[in-house]
Amino acid sequence: MTSAIEAIPLAEARARYRPDTELTPLPPTIDPDTLLAAFHPDHLRGSVVKLAIGANVGDSCQRELADLLQAEAFIDEADLAGTPVTDCDVLIIGGGGAGCAAALAAAERGASVILATKLRLGDSNTVMAEGGIQAAIEPEDSLQRHVQDTLRGGHHAGDPALVAAMVEDGPDVIRWLIRQGMQFEQTAGGNLHTRKAGGLSAARIVHCRDYTGLEMMRVLREAVIQHRAIEVWEQSPAVELLSNERGQKCVGAVLSSLADGRLRIVRTRSVIMATGGVGRLHLNGFPTSNHLGATGDGLVLAYRIGAKLRDLDSFQYHPTGLVYPPHLSGKLVTEGVRAAGALLLNADGRRFVDELAPRDVVSAAILREVREGRGIRSPRLDKERYGVWLDTPRLERAQPGLLERQFPKLLARTRVAGIDPRVDPLLVHPTLHYQNGGVVIDVDGATTVPGLYAVGEVSGGIHGRNRIMGNALLEIIGFGRRAGVAAIGDRDRGPKKVTLEHVNRVRRALTLAGMPMTRKAPQVLPPYAGGAWNR
Amino acid sequence: MEPLNQVLLHPDRRIGADLERWLKVSHGGTPLAAAIADPAMVREQIRVAELRGLGGSGFPVWKKWDAVAAEPAKPDKYLVVNGNEDEPGTFKDRLLLEETPHQVIEGALVAALAVGANRVVFYINPDLSRSLASLKLAIEQWHASELLPQGIELTLLPGSGHYIGGEETAAMEWIEGKFPFPRGKPPYPAQVGVHGCPTLINNVETLAHVPHIVMNGAEWFRARGRGTGTGTKLYSLSGDVLHPGVYELPMGTPLRELIYEHGGGLLSGKPLKAIFTGGPSNTLLTPADLDVGLDFDSLRARGGSLGTGAMIVISEGTGVVKRVAEYVRFFAHSSCGQCPPCKSGTATLSRLLDRIDTGRGTTDDLATLEDLCAMLPGSGRCHLLSGVVQLLDSSFRHFHHEYKSALR
Repeated sequence: MTSAIEAIPLAEARARYRPDTELTPLPPTIDPDTLLAAFHPDHLRGSVVKLAIGANVGDSCQRELADLLQAEAFIDEADLAGTPVTDCDVLIIGGGGAGCAAALAAAERGASVILATKLRLGDSNTVMAEGGIQAAIEPEDSLQRHVQDTLRGGHHAGDPALVAAMVEDGPDVIRWLIRQGMQFEQTAGGNLHTRKAGGLSAARIVHCRDYTGLEMMRVLREAVIQHRAIEVWEQSPAVELLSNERGQKCVGAVLSSLADGRLRIVRTRSVIMATGGVGRLHLNGFPTSNHLGATGDGLVLAYRIGAKLRDLDSFQYHPTGLVYPPHLSGKLVTEGVRAAGALLLNADGRRFVDELAPRDVVSAAILREVREGRGIRSPRLDKERYGVWLDTPRLERAQPGLLERQFPKLLARTRVAGIDPRVDPLLVHPTLHYQNGGVVIDVDGATTVPGLYAVGEVSGGIHGRNRIMGNALLEIIGFGRRAGVAAIGDRDRGPKKVTLEHVNRVRRALTLAGMPMTRKAPQVLPPYAGGAWNR
Repeated sequence: MEPLNQVLLHPDRRIGADLERWLKVSHGGTPLAAAIADPAMVREQIRVAELRGLGGSGFPVWKKWDAVAAEPAKPDKYLVVNGNEDEPGTFKDRLLLEETPHQVIEGALVAALAVGANRVVFYINPDLSRSLASLKLAIEQWHASELLPQGIELTLLPGSGHYIGGEETAAMEWIEGKFPFPRGKPPYPAQVGVHGCPTLINNVETLAHVPHIVMNGAEWFRARGRGTGTGTKLYSLSGDVLHPGVYELPMGTPLRELIYEHGGGLLSGKPLKAIFTGGPSNTLLTPADLDVGLDFDSLRARGGSLGTGAMIVISEGTGVVKRVAEYVRFFAHSSCGQCPPCKSGTATLSRLLDRIDTGRGTTDDLATLEDLCAMLPGSGRCHLLSGVVQLLDSSFRHFHHEYKSALR
């Protein structure tokens, strides 16, 4: 992305910008597929390799991710000697929205649950979700339209059964969240307020200002902490799964402690993986909107125990990540701002794309502007960053007071940096936002490995090759609850034996494929925050 | 061993349940004719061949056969084909049943003719669904064939799913429709077996060898072995090796050859630490045993046991205490609870080991463990408890320091 050198410096572009200039009409749209092929990061030459071992041999995968999926484990049998063992019915790995929803669903049905989270409960991408949650609740809307929008947005690569399951859950998920105590924006008449977003055929986004995820996490966190049957282990990243003696069933996990590096074994009937995404791998050098823990550990662990993954070469780059000020680089400006009417302008002050086209198309269009010299250059300490304008002042002029009313989080965040979006346009650039693919699951969240479930961003198949706004929050609650229920359905007597046989299987495969065994995974934290896990 | 030199796993013989093809690629039913013509001659061949019980005991097969043959039928005589295979790390019988069921059935028929048994029961671990399906089909084919000797009845009986059900007298209880509690011995099955009738019970692999011995002669069979071993043996290799799997090798093949030539050596090139031999009495082998021939007598001479021929390889970096604790837990689960010393003994051993393994053990716990090991052996009806102690003793002998360092 730094190949584009020609660009207008920030100060000059800012001086040239006027919120009241007459805009030229949108240029004729070009075919989205051509645009994506030419500019979307998924299609960058050299960014994708073929996997050589595991359940997805021969499939395309982003290079940085492939290195981790085909890495050696940190844990050896020797590390498990003298390790304390805890038993429970369900182990949930991940303390975001999906993990909490699964924990509550399982605990409500009488299971003993351990929820282990890498950082603190709620340190997750859920709290970053600003725009809202989709559910077909408006009279002019229908489940069918929601399904169609989701499939079309995902370029028809999604699994229709999974999409149908998620959409069906929609209205009930909203009802459940309200019962948990979540606040949603309401109309004057007291109905839920909905809004439209990119790729939606009806107003379907239910939201709480521009901090829907934060509000959701607030209630989930309280419910989880208060539930007697749920034990929360914070700062306890999973560093390996455990399998039965044939390495075919998942029967627990090895958890580390960020505080003192000690290991703990949790032995269980089923494990629900709710570890989120991979933004902190900074694929193709992109900044990310993701929280610190989004290092793809779930994918690595699931792949190592033999689970099949999908769409590993498809990631979502959110069109509007902040570029300036530098300390907010990569942080998100919600799509809600564009849904409310904000336009995207290049350095020449011209529109260049339909702002409400699917996210991948808008991102590709921004990257085209930057690469073709119509971007704006922001000075940064380490390396230069480029972007285009998100024209918030014009929106403010058209609908005075709207920004303050609906996007208080954005205003609060930029204010401390001395920027007022009501006066200053925001410099934005696509930011690595979401992993479209992930672990293959069925409608219960069950993976291809018995005893292992995956929910939320770590799972794949729902969003095809592009996610539309509001479906992520719906998915985590809907599928989180489904997996929580399904995970306690296995009525076996629990594991006889916990082993690392699956790790041996990977070692065999690596040796036979002649691949190095020097790199170890999962990463647990990004290199600049302590690096690969090390006790 | 080159694939074409293999006997039981010869590629031509791995054809599944297809009787017509089996008769073409094997001996075309002649072993049966030989057994009908002269049963005593067949028993003599087995004796000279020194075929041993390959289900773990290593007991000379001919002794059992002669004992059963000497008994009059009352009114029946049983042959039980023991396919309850459930030992940790053992997966050879399921392969034979799945891929060459007719080899096993033919062996069973020859044995039945040789000892005069009229009822043949295939007693199979119920979890082996593919083996069961293959064997079921194969038995149907025999029933439809003219080759099935008159008066012999073949039955397929899925076992109870209990590990202890593999013990020979427990198997008989299950066949009689009762819970598989091992019986006291004597009387031995040869005299009083299923429903009080004389009963021969042999392992699947043992019987699979029989037709080949009958056809090719005892000397041919003896020549397949190395050192003091005779014939070939299926070794189930697993653990930290590059190529785990079932290997048919000459009985008496050195451990080194099995692990490094056939198994491709240890994973990640780590040093070898120990080998658990699977079977009713597990023992530990160490790198010092690498050049020992893997046969019953050579291993027994070193205080070990071949068991079922399962070799679970452990590399440096693996905790022995954890592994032993897992085995003992398995046996504690498997105890039928009939004999008090075994019922509470295995449970206590398992609890102590778990404490030590999870870092909560004290010096007293270790001392108790050692005392129990001196006290318990030989106090049950079957071999289960003694087997557990044998494993523990063997791990104390070689890895006592690991127990000590795991203490609190």
